[in-house]
Amino acid sequence: MKLNHVYKTFYPDSPKEVKALTDINLTFEKGEFTTLSGESGSGKTTLLNIIGGLDSATSGQIFLDDDEISAYSEEKMAKLRLHDIGFIFQAYNLIHVLTVRENIGFIMKLLKFDEKEIDTRILELASILQIEDLLDKLPGEISGGQQQRVAVARAVASRPKLILADEPTANLDSKNSERLMNMLRTLNEKEHVTVIFASHDKYVLEQSKRIIVLDDGVVVEDR
Amino acid sequence: MYKISQHLAWLSLWRRKTRSAMVVMMIALCLSGLLGLQGLYDGMISHMINTTIRSDSGEISLYAKEYRLNKSLDYRLSPLSKFENAFSQIEAIDAYTVRLEQEGLIATAHKSRGATLKGISLEKEQNFGQLDAFITKGNYSFGKGNKNALIGSALAKKFNLSIGSRVIFTAQDVTGEINSISFRISGILKTGNPALDENSVFISMEKISKFLNLQQSATQIALRVKETENIKKVQDQLQILFPDTDVLRWDELYPLLIQMQEIMNIFNLASYAIVFIVAALGIFGVMLVSVLERMREFSIMLAIGTPYRIVRNQIIMEASFLGIIGFLAGALLGGVLLFYMSTAGIDMRSFEAGLELYGYSAVMYANMHLYYFFQAFFAVFFATLLSVIWPLRKLKKIKPIQVIQGKML
Repeated sequence: MKLNHVYKTFYPDSPKEVKALTDINLTFEKGEFTTLSGESGSGKTTLLNIIGGLDSATSGQIFLDDDEISAYSEEKMAKLRLHDIGFIFQAYNLIHVLTVRENIGFIMKLLKFDEKEIDTRILELASILQIEDLLDKLPGEISGGQQQRVAVARAVASRPKLILADEPTANLDSKNSERLMNMLRTLNEKEHVTVIFASHDKYVLEQSKRIIVLDDGVVVEDR
Repeated sequence: MYKISQHLAWLSLWRRKTRSAMVVMMIALCLSGLLGLQGLYDGMISHMINTTIRSDSGEISLYAKEYRLNKSLDYRLSPLSKFENAFSQIEAIDAYTVRLEQEGLIATAHKSRGATLKGISLEKEQNFGQLDAFITKGNYSFGKGNKNALIGSALAKKFNLSIGSRVIFTAQDVTGEINSISFRISGILKTGNPALDENSVFISMEKISKFLNLQQSATQIALRVKETENIKKVQDQLQILFPDTDVLRWDELYPLLIQMQEIMNIFNLASYAIVFIVAALGIFGVMLVSVLERMREFSIMLAIGTPYRIVRNQIIMEASFLGIIGFLAGALLGGVLLFYMSTAGIDMRSFEAGLELYGYSAVMYANMHLYYFFQAFFAVFFATLLSVIWPLRKLKKIKPIQVIQGKML
């Protein structure tokens, strides 16, 4: 993935104008395990959303395998998100009328996976994330940490090419954070899944192979 | 894809039972009101028409030419056998009654005023329109030797007459002589037809024939036709048979009724539209809130890649499920309401005077037709579809991530 001169301005040409990202030029290779770091308001979540096609850049281009995805229609972008990108949001964002089992299998269902395959994958992920007992509960019936694990399971269930995780460990204890990171690293190493985090969690940063530091919407460090 | 939307819609409804039940209840209440109103309006007007047909015009009435312009006994139908023989040949005629009437003066010891004396056959009137059912006081009888009379309720009230009261009627006979006849009241009739209730005194055909010096004569012959669709055919047939006679349908005799029916239809349509708009707004409001309050949920679905059409179909299906269940509940509730109003009626006796002034019954009965339910189904279907268009447009325009981050709704 390549970002060329990406800018993002909120409320342009108004007194409330905020320059969230300025001239971002980055390249992500397949199989990277990268963290976008920085203080609150530095633009890491905005950048993550633009990479995932959830938000559009004010100007600049984004390429995925030489395809300019920043020019995609909303429908084409939704298709890309469904097939190739797994999202882990800071606030879990589970679908409240679906049980844990249905949430995990939701994207696989949309992708028309075989029912048996869906069941097997749900059980596999539930076992890794230790949420087997929660499968028939609704999101409202489980804790925040448990909901985050379900969100992770949902994001990785269909084995997407790219996983975007916004502060995934923010609501997890150290044990669960470790378990989550181990799982994502395994996916990254064994299946060459690209993982990009937006986080300032020390533990996440320690585990990352590449760290991009943002400050006030500008890349100040890339190591 | 439809299967997923259907599954999501069903789960959403089933797992939010209270909200679903509230929407269904609201649709059902609006719908039953709609059905009740339609049935009642239809019932009021058909009751009025039915009363007029039963008590006076029949589906078709025959008069001598000129009689309706100049109510002179010179313009009469005679001999009756000629007409009766013809009626017996027409299969579509169900019943007929013969009436001989003359305008004159009714008087008691204290009061007098103009009124109409009508000669009738009680038996024929009973077969024709169950006139006996209109008796409110006394008996459906002219007494021994046909000496008594029946009188319209409003006329009886004006003269303060009760059963057994004696009245005198004065009128010209066919020769121009002024004669008087005296009789006692044996029954009081309330037909709901103001023209009859306020002006008519009924005596036997034999007695009026003698009083007016006429034999084998009538001023009106009213017919009941077996099937409504045959009315015009019978009218044409009779007009050919009796070219010197006015053969008129009830709607030609009472054009005011048709006007009232048309006005009522407009009123009905307007009321129906108001109730429909209220119901549609209600359904629209509930559906809108239901979509808006779940905008975050839908945004999450869109953000993780759910195609818009799946979310759209889910919302439409949810609305349709609610609409169909609401319709079924409303149809059941409305059906029970209509059944009750069509059998027991609604007692509006506290507004009796005002209602009777316009020929309405103080006890109103509703009509009940299958087409009401078809109309109601389309009304709910339309309202439901309408209610999801705006939320869907809003959903199409939003940026999911902004809703998820709480920056926009």
